[in-house]
Amino acid sequence: MDISLIFSQFLSGLSRGMMLFLIASGLSLIFGVMNILNFAHATLWLAGAYFCYTFWYLMQDYGFGLWVSIALASLALALIGWFIEVVLIRRVYKRELPEQLLLTYGLILVIGDLIKLIWGVEDKIIARPPLVAGPVFFFGIPFDSYFIFVILVGFAVAVGLWWFLKKTRYGHIVRAAVFSREMVSALGIPIPRIYTGVFVLGIFIAGLAGAVQAPVGSITLGMDMAVVVQAFCVVVIGGFGSLLGTFVGSMIVGEVYAFSILFWPQGALVLIFIVTAFILIVRPWGLFGTPMRA
Amino acid sequence: MKKYWWLGLIFIGALILPLVVGEFWVHVAVEILILGLFAVSFNMIFGYMGQLSFGHAAYYGVGAYATGLLMVKASVPLPICLAASMIAAGICALIFGYFCVRLTGIYFAILTLAFGQLMYYIIFQWYSFTGGDDGLQGIIPPDLLFGATSYYYFTLLIVTAALIVMWYISKSPFGYTMRAIRENADRTRFLGINVRRYMLINFIIAGMFAGLAGGLLGPFNRSVAPDLCNWHQSGVPVFMTVIGGPLGFFGPMIGSVIFTFLMAFVTGFTEYWPLTIGLIIIFVVLFMPGGVLGLVEERVEVFRSKGLKARANNSKY
Repeated sequence: MDISLIFSQFLSGLSRGMMLFLIASGLSLIFGVMNILNFAHATLWLAGAYFCYTFWYLMQDYGFGLWVSIALASLALALIGWFIEVVLIRRVYKRELPEQLLLTYGLILVIGDLIKLIWGVEDKIIARPPLVAGPVFFFGIPFDSYFIFVILVGFAVAVGLWWFLKKTRYGHIVRAAVFSREMVSALGIPIPRIYTGVFVLGIFIAGLAGAVQAPVGSITLGMDMAVVVQAFCVVVIGGFGSLLGTFVGSMIVGEVYAFSILFWPQGALVLIFIVTAFILIVRPWGLFGTPMRA
Repeated sequence: MKKYWWLGLIFIGALILPLVVGEFWVHVAVEILILGLFAVSFNMIFGYMGQLSFGHAAYYGVGAYATGLLMVKASVPLPICLAASMIAAGICALIFGYFCVRLTGIYFAILTLAFGQLMYYIIFQWYSFTGGDDGLQGIIPPDLLFGATSYYYFTLLIVTAALIVMWYISKSPFGYTMRAIRENADRTRFLGINVRRYMLINFIIAGMFAGLAGGLLGPFNRSVAPDLCNWHQSGVPVFMTVIGGPLGFFGPMIGSVIFTFLMAFVTGFTEYWPLTIGLIIIFVVLFMPGGVLGLVEERVEVFRSKGLKARANNSKY
């Protein structure tokens, strides 16, 4: 095994990890603040990909079509997220865990079938603009140039979320809500509005992730089912509600997958679940989470 | 036993069912029984131990594959296969459960989910042994049980026996220890009870009966597929239990009747079954906490006193 192969695997793991980070960061944020594990997160991610396809399809004659579509798809998903929060999620804040899980499980079935109803069963393919269509070469190794874009978006979202959580007033409120909702609400901050905002932000990022994923390959029904449990793994490894943890967790899952595929291709996914189970057993709150909730 | 006369009526009804309905509904009835057994076994963890397992399909799938592999590759007789299914699922539950019972709440749910997916990917990827994506075909039941009606009676026999065993477990000191752990694990520990060991034993029993349900499924469908193990299959008993009501022993069975009957009915005229059941799930969660059994207890005199007693015993859910 030479160094260039290792480097190309590293890059492919990085882009896979970034993709997972984009999905898992919203999941982790929503769970950390609202204590609701959103099973339907990846299904909304898939909806983002389909929305991106439709917007791109309408604008395919223009060079900027894809980039505008990605932005529009994220906004469309933010709107859907707002609707879901206000109509459904708000009613189960105070319910038991199984009912909350069942509600989002029901959402998977509904949204998944609505996608099938609207877009049909055929795979959708987005033709990329020339800028990101061909490979780029690192040390003579070809690498899909679109993945450079994916990695950049991942970093941008990570930095943006970090800035929001650490530097803005609303970010401070959100972080405080992760530790103690009672205390935040005692300070006179309207918790339901914070919850809605967090949920919409989380789904917005999921939509962005889906839209960014759309031109990678074909968009297929059922893509979300495998992704959602991997996103859970990321959140578990990193720790619920921790942005840094989600980032590190994504990198671990992405790289473990990229390298184990070289040695033991059938076992790549199995290995990820072994890592996750191991972390859950020795440190249920994850690498960077706080044990308060455990 | 006087107050359980209605169970006798249901059993007699189940016995004469194939004489009054067509073959299609007999198939549906077999599915109701199998999924009902699966859901009741799930409820041993959920209802009696108070933990939500989101990976219960792993044991169902392991049971299905144990019977399937033994029948296809070694032509072992069906009853021995079913016993092997229980043992295989039990061993699997022992290994996974050993770790799961260390956690509670959301962490328990996610760890069971992670182990469930682990099992799914092992079955999915291990082409040479399990047939991977293609599953296993040609699981033919013995001649005696070949027809729909005879397989129905066989399933009814096995499921009834399994339910009676689980019923006695739930009424035994062990069953009440599980309830004590659900209500307050710390206090139970103070009584000198090894909470983790009890939880593990319960987890294994639940896994074994899920394995039995899986074992019954293979010869009924003539095939098994890795999707039996996948995580959305684990949502099915959760839903059945919530719609039927987790408090009563038969709640999940009622949930299975509603779910499976609806599925057979709805898929008759639309392919959008997930949409339908998804909307029903959301409706039930929002407007019917306590499930159908809870609703019946509120409305019907006969069940009311029993329901209130159950609720007093089960204040948490």
